[in-house]
Amino acid sequence: MSGILDVLRRPDFFELLRQHILLSAAALLIGIAIALPVALAIRNTSLGAALAINIGNIGRAVPSLAILALCQPFLGFGFDTALVALTALAIPPILINASTGLREVRRDIIDAARGMGLSGSQVLTRIQLPIAAPVIFAGIRTSAVQVVASATLATFIGGGGLGELIVEGTQLNDTTILLAGSFSVAVLAIITEVGFGALERAMTPKGLKIAQKRGR
Amino acid sequence: MLLQDLSSIEDPKLIEWDWISDNFWEDIVPAIQGHIFLSFVSVAIALAISLPTGVLVYRYRKAYTPVTFVTGLLYSIPSLALFGILISIPGITIGPTPVIIALVAYSLLILIRNTVAGLDAVPAETIDAARGMGLTDSQILLRVELPLALPVIVAGIRIATVTIIGIATIGAYIAGGGLGKMIFDGINRSFPTMIITGAVLATLLAIIADLALLALERYLRPWARRRA
Amino acid sequence: MIEFRQVSKTYPGSGSQVVKDLSFEVPEGEICVLVGPSGCGKTTSMRMVNRLIEITEGEILIDGEPNTAMSGTQLRRKIGYAIQQIGLFPHRTIADNIGTVPNLLGWDKGRIKSRVDELLDTVSLSPDEYRDRYPAELSGGQQQRVGVARALAADPPIMLMDEPFGAVDPITREGLQDEFLRIQQDIKKTIVFVTHDIDEAIKMGNKIAILKQGGVLAQYDTPETILAYPNSEFVASFVGTDRILKRLSLVRVGDMRLEPANGEAEDLPRIDGNLSVRDALSEIIGSGSTKGVVERDGEKGLLTIDAIEKLSRARDDLRD
Repeated sequence: MSGILDVLRRPDFFELLRQHILLSAAALLIGIAIALPVALAIRNTSLGAALAINIGNIGRAVPSLAILALCQPFLGFGFDTALVALTALAIPPILINASTGLREVRRDIIDAARGMGLSGSQVLTRIQLPIAAPVIFAGIRTSAVQVVASATLATFIGGGGLGELIVEGTQLNDTTILLAGSFSVAVLAIITEVGFGALERAMTPKGLKIAQKRGR
Repeated sequence: MLLQDLSSIEDPKLIEWDWISDNFWEDIVPAIQGHIFLSFVSVAIALAISLPTGVLVYRYRKAYTPVTFVTGLLYSIPSLALFGILISIPGITIGPTPVIIALVAYSLLILIRNTVAGLDAVPAETIDAARGMGLTDSQILLRVELPLALPVIVAGIRIATVTIIGIATIGAYIAGGGLGKMIFDGINRSFPTMIITGAVLATLLAIIADLALLALERYLRPWARRRA
Repeated sequence: MIEFRQVSKTYPGSGSQVVKDLSFEVPEGEICVLVGPSGCGKTTSMRMVNRLIEITEGEILIDGEPNTAMSGTQLRRKIGYAIQQIGLFPHRTIADNIGTVPNLLGWDKGRIKSRVDELLDTVSLSPDEYRDRYPAELSGGQQQRVGVARALAADPPIMLMDEPFGAVDPITREGLQDEFLRIQQDIKKTIVFVTHDIDEAIKMGNKIAILKQGGVLAQYDTPETILAYPNSEFVASFVGTDRILKRLSLVRVGDMRLEPANGEAEDLPRIDGNLSVRDALSEIIGSGSTKGVVERDGEKGLLTIDAIEKLSRARDDLRD
């Protein structure tokens, strides 16, 4: 056990951790920056929504290693390649959830809002987005956890990250290093899950929490 | 003249079809088979564990939170990390075994959750009618509840299968076999053809499984089918 | 005052005409009920007033001005809007919901708050108790009241109401209808009210517009006139074969002429002066007699089936 702590105290551990977090955060933010505007743009067209759902579903089925590996022959090794691949992985859950969330806002609420004189953009910002917020943030959470997990594989295409410790431990047949790498990745993933779960709850409007509790 | 010289340099072609046809039966097909085998065994074992567990949790609600917590924790651990932890355990060597253990562990959460959700969705009146007709509890479970819960359970199987096929690719790193081996070898040898072949085939396998199980799910839900 | 001038609506895709050449006027301060079978275009017509649906032909004038004179959004902020499923914003408090349009119009916070409290009082919901609640905490009937309060918030001269009491049980609905009629006596809004229920139309409307399939106006008159003089087979069957009895429900026992009691009062059924003549008739017949005794101003009088029958044959407006 103390051996593991020694590994964690290595100078390069912090660097690997930094890379891992940087890679994940960047991929998530860029993914949000792409997926949200697209979901907003297609919110009123049923064709667009169907397309988004289908692309999202197919995107979710693709193995993460496959995407990372496929980027390598075209983009080479390195941080940037891993970033491109991870961004592609980040998009589907956010796209699906944002698109579904916006479209599932009850029709009568939107009708009442328009009928009372809210403009199109006011309906979006004051009504649709706040009501869809929990679903959207659930999608962001799913995406975040997936990205952090897949960033472990970035090491295979030269992207750095905590996966390198796992690879090092495997190649040197050193259980201590292996476990240090595995545990730190696991803890990071769990922190991400819990942290984004809390964010999701924080972004749920109070009135919706009450409605959920009462099964309405 | 310089341009002519440059164009005579061979770029490593992205896909060398010769390699594919040469190694098709020796490497590619066994890889596909190994991958399917790995996935299938894992799904089967996962189902064998989670169906009974799901039924138990459905009956004894108090177990729901702890069971979800443990399986959720397992689900959160990134695959490479879980592989690393498993092969550190004395007695577990690299190979298909830790891969299958990990794949099973990953699918428990979704399968148990969907089993419970599917059983929850069975209308209370239907169960009441069955009891009124004189069926025993286990007869109700087998003949009424589980069949009606099937669409939701299959939805869970679909998600679990796609996840398993995906993570099985990573299992090749600890000698689990399957299409992932082609991907890793291709990266190590800087041979794009292997990378692309392995990655594309794994993706296709996942998508085919997804669509096939989606069709099964729709088939089991005649009321949803008719509306479309 | 709202005027429909030869209004038609055709949907370009399917080519189906859902409203055809509709012309009528809603006098200021009155409730005009649009009623008819499904597919008669009543909701479409109502939604053309605030331009949630655009007219294909004709025009709608509000106080003499075409309703296209300003943008749709600006128009709607001047028209109260209450729909069947209410559409309360689940993520905002009751106070925020009611204050939506005043907020859009830029009222200051103090004015909005006192208006919200005033409206909650008007719809019989205690402001201190309900102001900060969320829609999910309220019952269906309470939500519907909040819906009405929200429509009244900016004190618009005109209101559009589409089955506003439809989502609750009949008993609650009756209470809400009575309450709204009481409120309308004070506020006198010009209202277009849509319903599929002819009884609700008769109860709520100063004028009723009966629409046929395809958005054609069958008859536009006061409830009494429609009941006494249906102008077609369609209208007669739509209002129901019990239309004579329906007419009787428009008159109170208290307004009827009574015969002197002459000591007959002992064995006769007691009739409450607040009942409608229709309900009184039911009580009298049910008791097996031909008269009932009514107490008015301390004196007893008799209401006879004869008198009721004479009333039902009267060709004049029963409600003066």
